[in-house]
Amino acid sequence: MPNILSTGLSGMLAFQRAIEMTGHNIANANTPGYSRQVAEFVARDGQNMGNGYVGGGTEVTTIKRIYDRMMGEQLLTSTTGQSRFSVLDSLASRVDNLLADPDTALNSGLQGFFNSMQDLANDPASIPARRVMLGEAEGVAQRFIALDGRLGEMDDGVNSRIKESVANVNQLATAIADVNEQITFAQGGTGQPPNDLLDRRDLLLRRLSEQVSVTTATQDDGSINVFIGSGQPLVAGAEAYKLGVRGGEFDPTRAEVVYEGTSGPAALNSGLTGGALGGLQDFRAQILDPARGSLDETALALAARFNEQHASGMDLTGEMGAQFFGISDPTVLHSSSNTGAGTAVVAIDDVAALTGTEYVLEYDGADYALHNAATGASIAMTGSGSGADPFIAGGIRVTVGGAPAAGDRISIHPAGGAAGSVRTLVNEPRAVAMASPVRVQSSVANFGDAHTGSVEVTDRDDPDLLSTVVIEFTSADTYSIDGAGALSYTSGDTIDINGVSFDISGTPAAGDQFVVEPNLGASGDNSNGLLLADIQTVGILDGGTVSINENYGQLVAAVGGSTHQIKSNLEAQNVILANAEDAQLSVSGVNLDEEAANLIRYQQAYQAAAQMITVANSLFDSLLAATRR
Amino acid sequence: MRISTSGAFQQGLSMMLKLQSALDHTQKQVTTGRRHLTPSDDPFAAARSLNLRESMSRLDQFDRNSTMATNRLGYEESALQSVNNVLQRVRELALQANNATQSDESRGPIVVEMRQHVDALLQLANEKDGNGRYIFAGNQDATAPVTQNGTTFDYHGDQGQRLIRIGENRQIADGDAGSAVFFRIRNGNGSFDVAAATGNSGTGITTAGSVVDAAQYDGGDYTVRFLDPGNYEVVDSAGAVVSSGTFETGDTISFRGIEFSIGGDPETNDEFAVNSSRYQDIFTTVQNLADSIDDPIHDDVERAAMNNRINSGILGIDQALGTVLDVRTQVGSRLSAIESQADSNSAFVLGLEETLDGIEALDYADALSKLSIQMTMLEAAQQSFVKTRNLSLFNYL
Repeated sequence: MPNILSTGLSGMLAFQRAIEMTGHNIANANTPGYSRQVAEFVARDGQNMGNGYVGGGTEVTTIKRIYDRMMGEQLLTSTTGQSRFSVLDSLASRVDNLLADPDTALNSGLQGFFNSMQDLANDPASIPARRVMLGEAEGVAQRFIALDGRLGEMDDGVNSRIKESVANVNQLATAIADVNEQITFAQGGTGQPPNDLLDRRDLLLRRLSEQVSVTTATQDDGSINVFIGSGQPLVAGAEAYKLGVRGGEFDPTRAEVVYEGTSGPAALNSGLTGGALGGLQDFRAQILDPARGSLDETALALAARFNEQHASGMDLTGEMGAQFFGISDPTVLHSSSNTGAGTAVVAIDDVAALTGTEYVLEYDGADYALHNAATGASIAMTGSGSGADPFIAGGIRVTVGGAPAAGDRISIHPAGGAAGSVRTLVNEPRAVAMASPVRVQSSVANFGDAHTGSVEVTDRDDPDLLSTVVIEFTSADTYSIDGAGALSYTSGDTIDINGVSFDISGTPAAGDQFVVEPNLGASGDNSNGLLLADIQTVGILDGGTVSINENYGQLVAAVGGSTHQIKSNLEAQNVILANAEDAQLSVSGVNLDEEAANLIRYQQAYQAAAQMITVANSLFDSLLAATRR
Repeated sequence: MRISTSGAFQQGLSMMLKLQSALDHTQKQVTTGRRHLTPSDDPFAAARSLNLRESMSRLDQFDRNSTMATNRLGYEESALQSVNNVLQRVRELALQANNATQSDESRGPIVVEMRQHVDALLQLANEKDGNGRYIFAGNQDATAPVTQNGTTFDYHGDQGQRLIRIGENRQIADGDAGSAVFFRIRNGNGSFDVAAATGNSGTGITTAGSVVDAAQYDGGDYTVRFLDPGNYEVVDSAGAVVSSGTFETGDTISFRGIEFSIGGDPETNDEFAVNSSRYQDIFTTVQNLADSIDDPIHDDVERAAMNNRINSGILGIDQALGTVLDVRTQVGSRLSAIESQADSNSAFVLGLEETLDGIEALDYADALSKLSIQMTMLEAAQQSFVKTRNLSLFNYL
């Protein structure tokens, strides 16, 4: 009889526990990271009654959480992957949209500028047309600055997001170490799994995976060790290590992640692959830096080529063309670890020879060597580095000085900062150099039919460029220059003189004169203007094969292509993550219908067990009634 | 497979979000009419459309340039037309004045009209275009190109010709310098000029003559001198006799590959200078003509001298007309070149537009049917979500 009572009671206690678990599950149906828990029933050992073992009811041995370790790990991996591409996508899309926006895009600004240039070439004397052209030039400069500014803001954004992300990682690492400690304590005391703590740790690990790719190793005491990068421990048992942020080797504003282990900060160069941190670094390396570089290069190409041509022309006041666009000098940065005081002055030598490469100039104690900053490949330089004989390589000119120490490094970014610093230096409409600086006039009295072709400026720095020279034919096939010499002539000959060249063809008569003179007062001349307008389509970069517009097109296509790829990767990662989540939830997630059914089941079982007590009671009553007599 | 309640909820939700974002994309396509909204939608097409748009913008610009050049050439053409008319009128007047029936009095009005034509020509040479720039000044288009200085006329422009880009590989001059139109005109017949000496006592009248054998003509200066009314000799600039012969009125005199005839009756020691053609500007030619007609005539000798000078003036006018015609022909051929280039440009634009359309433009039928399918899908997802999420065993407890 006492057996019946205790058996019934065991059932009631067990089902009460089970109903509690069902309640806990229902309550946590929407708790992120919660794994459903079930009570494990075991039949109590039977008692040998001589005629066999009689069971003694049931008991709950443990509360189990339904959890699949492999699925949990898959979820971490796919979270890392998805988070990386999600960050990449949101940032890359911003650059993509920026380039697509007609209000900010460069191409329409460039078109407007060059069209105004042609309008001016149609009517070079027109002051209003000159003003329009200057306005359009200012517009192009503003577009470069605005685009560069937006990209610069993104760079700042990336830097601060890296800092946030690192702070997040550190916080999560501390939290995981704390939970590790609690789990070890709880498990050590009772031997029972602290399910909700385990869930909490798994959730923290997932949050950590969103920031950075991690690997884990479970220890015997229930704690988990977390590693990042190439195996640096972030959490070891109850101990958490930290990540830090410091400035770049050359650029102190560029946030780089370091591992602050026991032996001081160490750079985590390519170690951070996934998560938001990985995505931020990928975005910077694959999209932002190349885009800014390309934009700088485009600005530099436009400014340098336009300035060169503008300086070869003559303006309305009879002066040679001034510098039209202003841009900053190439960026030169010294390594923070330099110990010497060496200096390098860098200038653009030849725009066509620029390759879009960033360089590192290294001093080994005796000589300088130039490397590609990205690949480390060695690059040959000519010259000795002195002012008279500078180093020349890849379109730049480097003059070194000061007292460098062995191992000192200097970073050179040839086009660095060009886009952000474009401005027009010519503000006065008359100062736009539309005319050729020199004209060749045949004397009105010339007898022969010889005539000259267009004048080309071959050396605008020739000191005698603007001096007047008389070419006089002493016969049909000889001529003198300023009365001196007897040079032979055949029709179609090119004459080079004082930095200009032109053709003479036809048959001159003796005494015919051609006067080479400064092209003063030629308000209607557009010779140089046509050459300025031609810059729109002429190849400038990459050895003179890529025009300004093509270079910008390449930038748009490159960003578009990367973004396109990122988007499709993100879609794939979304599916992978959704699948992993589904798989995990299908095992661990709470199903309310299931819980409702369980509720009914356990309730009925509880009621049945309670009925056992009634049965035992009535049996006992029967026995009492029988013995009362 | 086991379904978790929150998982199923999340799945339904994310499906709806996905459908919504696709719907949003299609809707944006429909409102903008563009197939690709950002470069990443189709990077290749984005780069290509940038190039196409640049080409189209350049072609548009060439159109503007062509209009400008056409306007300028139009101004030039109408100025040249007027110059032509003036010169024709001057020629008529000269022929009229040359008539033997004219008296000193009847030539008076002719002289007055002719002097007015000098001014008219000056005005035409200093004509401006719609922007107030001198047409015939070369590149010195802010300076009046021709001024009269006493009896001479000076050119202040240069020989520059402005080129205008009217096609990707084509530039065209939008004018001609006044030096070529008004100043560099050869006198005489274009090769040489025969002029009677001012002191001639006979009535010899020369014709313009011509080069009959270009190989023999050396372009030198010669003098035909009458030894007596029936004999002449030709000497070169050094005084050496080149040729000689007998003469009767109307005879042709030929030497060194050229020939001309002399009518009337030259007297002993009368001279005719044969010089290679010099440049003479239109204004001087007309002015000289007027001066010649203005001289009073007292006898046949003076009449012959006048006839000679008027003949020479008419020759000059003919040369000028030839030059004007030549320039007008060039202007006309430039105008037609612009037109044909404009045709080829617009054909090119059409082709570019078609290509750009193929790359950028949205297929509306396709997009709208996609839009309606996506809307239906979203609606179905929403309805099924609400319905299935309402299913719960708890409803029956």
